Amino acid sequence: MRPAAIALPVLALVAVLPAVLSGYHVSFMIQVFMWIALAGSWNIISGFTGYVSFGHVAFFGIGTYTAALLITKAGWHWLPAGLAGCVPAMMLALVIGYPCLRLKGPYFAISMLGLNEVVRALVSYFEGFTGGGAGISLPPIEAIVPVYYAMAGVAFAVTLTTYLILNSRFGLRLLSIREDEIAAEAMGMNTARLKLYAFLLSAAFPGIVGGFYAWYASHVEPLSVFPLITTITMIIMCLFGGSGTVLGPVIGAVLLSVLQELVWARFLFVHQALFGALIVAVVLIMPRGILGILRQYYPLPRSI
Amino acid sequence: MQVHITGTMVLQVVVSGLLVGGLYALVALGLSLVFGVMRVINVAHGTFLMLGAYVTFWLFDLYGLNPFLSILVSVPVLFAVGAVLQRLLVFRVVNAPELSSLLLTFGISIVLANMAMLAWTADYRSVEFLTGSFVIGQIAVSKPRLISFVTALVITALAFVFLHKTRTGKAIRATSQHREVAQVCGINVGRIDLVTFGLGAGLAAAGGSLVSVMFAVYPEMGQVYVFKSFLVIVLGGAGNYPGAFFGGLLLGVVEGLASLFLTAQLTEVVAYILLVLVLLLRPQGLLGGRI
Repeated sequence: MRPAAIALPVLALVAVLPAVLSGYHVSFMIQVFMWIALAGSWNIISGFTGYVSFGHVAFFGIGTYTAALLITKAGWHWLPAGLAGCVPAMMLALVIGYPCLRLKGPYFAISMLGLNEVVRALVSYFEGFTGGGAGISLPPIEAIVPVYYAMAGVAFAVTLTTYLILNSRFGLRLLSIREDEIAAEAMGMNTARLKLYAFLLSAAFPGIVGGFYAWYASHVEPLSVFPLITTITMIIMCLFGGSGTVLGPVIGAVLLSVLQELVWARFLFVHQALFGALIVAVVLIMPRGILGILRQYYPLPRSI
Repeated sequence: MQVHITGTMVLQVVVSGLLVGGLYALVALGLSLVFGVMRVINVAHGTFLMLGAYVTFWLFDLYGLNPFLSILVSVPVLFAVGAVLQRLLVFRVVNAPELSSLLLTFGISIVLANMAMLAWTADYRSVEFLTGSFVIGQIAVSKPRLISFVTALVITALAFVFLHKTRTGKAIRATSQHREVAQVCGINVGRIDLVTFGLGAGLAAAGGSLVSVMFAVYPEMGQVYVFKSFLVIVLGGAGNYPGAFFGGLLLGVVEGLASLFLTAQLTEVVAYILLVLVLLLRPQGLLGGRI
């Protein structure tokens, strides 16, 4: 079955859904698309190369601030402002990735551990520009259906990009870095540059998602847009579906968002503890994710 | 507001920085042992610190026990917690890719922090045991900080004696140098993992008990110490335990100076830049030594 045969009906369904869903469910779908895009973007650097980006929420947060500033101070329309979120996110990725991606093994993960806190501290510090701890309030949003399509567009773009990467020489090179970086270097690959390209791509999408999120949420503040738990959620969704695959982050984001909506929301006080237990379970029981488990029993194509 | 910075202020900040740095060194030593022996990035280290602080708080609040003596309780309790977690969960990710250990210990940490919040609420608590300062010349040294620093030094020294003079301590160092060779030499590395993880949690708990006399005790209090501890390890050089000690002191001083010359908000940024620079330029740590 050709990928287009799967993608087209899904896209058609996504296109007509706002006509039949209530406002609440459209809002829920926006969050599902947001998580698909975030989990998918983390997958591009960490699922493919094995370099664990533990500060990925920093790119999301910087995107929210970019859009909020462009909308409130420069009077931009939300759509270009949201798309512009990718620019500073990629600049941050360049500044951090150029040196840090040379670090081998666990040291890259350690260097990324504090990134979100650092960006948060900087945003809080430049109070005159960013509103400090109080954040920035945007004009109230009139219609959420355009945001629905915009967020769906980003989710689709991330998934398409992942598909194109996985089925290209670039993707194979990234996978070879994950499997054995020294061997990849010995084959003549410039692994530092390949990792940097993957990192830039992987940072661009959270920047855009953050940009649209700022418009959707109508308010950005340092505490709510840089939490470590957002990075962890991206990672767990990606692992739950199957990292290093195209559909893994999509499956993981959809299932865990639904689970969150149906089950966890009913257990307010132990909500976090349940999520912690889920993390432990995913790492110990199904590190290869749902697609990995399905692959053991069914001959799924490698290209998804 | 422009404040004129005098030599006395700098000296004051350096002294306070060294005192806090002793505590950083103690906490980082535990993390460094776990990372060295098992290659586990233990994000739950700060949560162990928090639990140690709560042990001290409750013993002080309910029975009026001296917080410095309560270390004799908090360390064994957290040693047991650490050993049980290692036996049940963490042993599965020893020497696994870093993502597994990062996520597993993060999962453990939010379960524990959430349970602490349910049991003891998110209120800020304090152990008001010692207040006031010693004044030496123009420099004021707060009493709890000084006594905590001395206690941290004693515990760190005891840990070094343990690592260098006892059979188990030597086996821990051997395992962190080369796991397979240690195994070939007849060391039961599974048992060493258990002791090391327990010891790491115990050292975090000792740090927590000492922190509780200076700062507020609440379920999320440990988080900041995780990144600081990694920074200390990187400054000192991974696997270099004496290096971690000097790394701790250095971090305390750098943080103090950064908050004096820049602003307290930017200390994290300075610390982060320091981390990246050291990782890139001197990955063996500032003090050199073996990698």
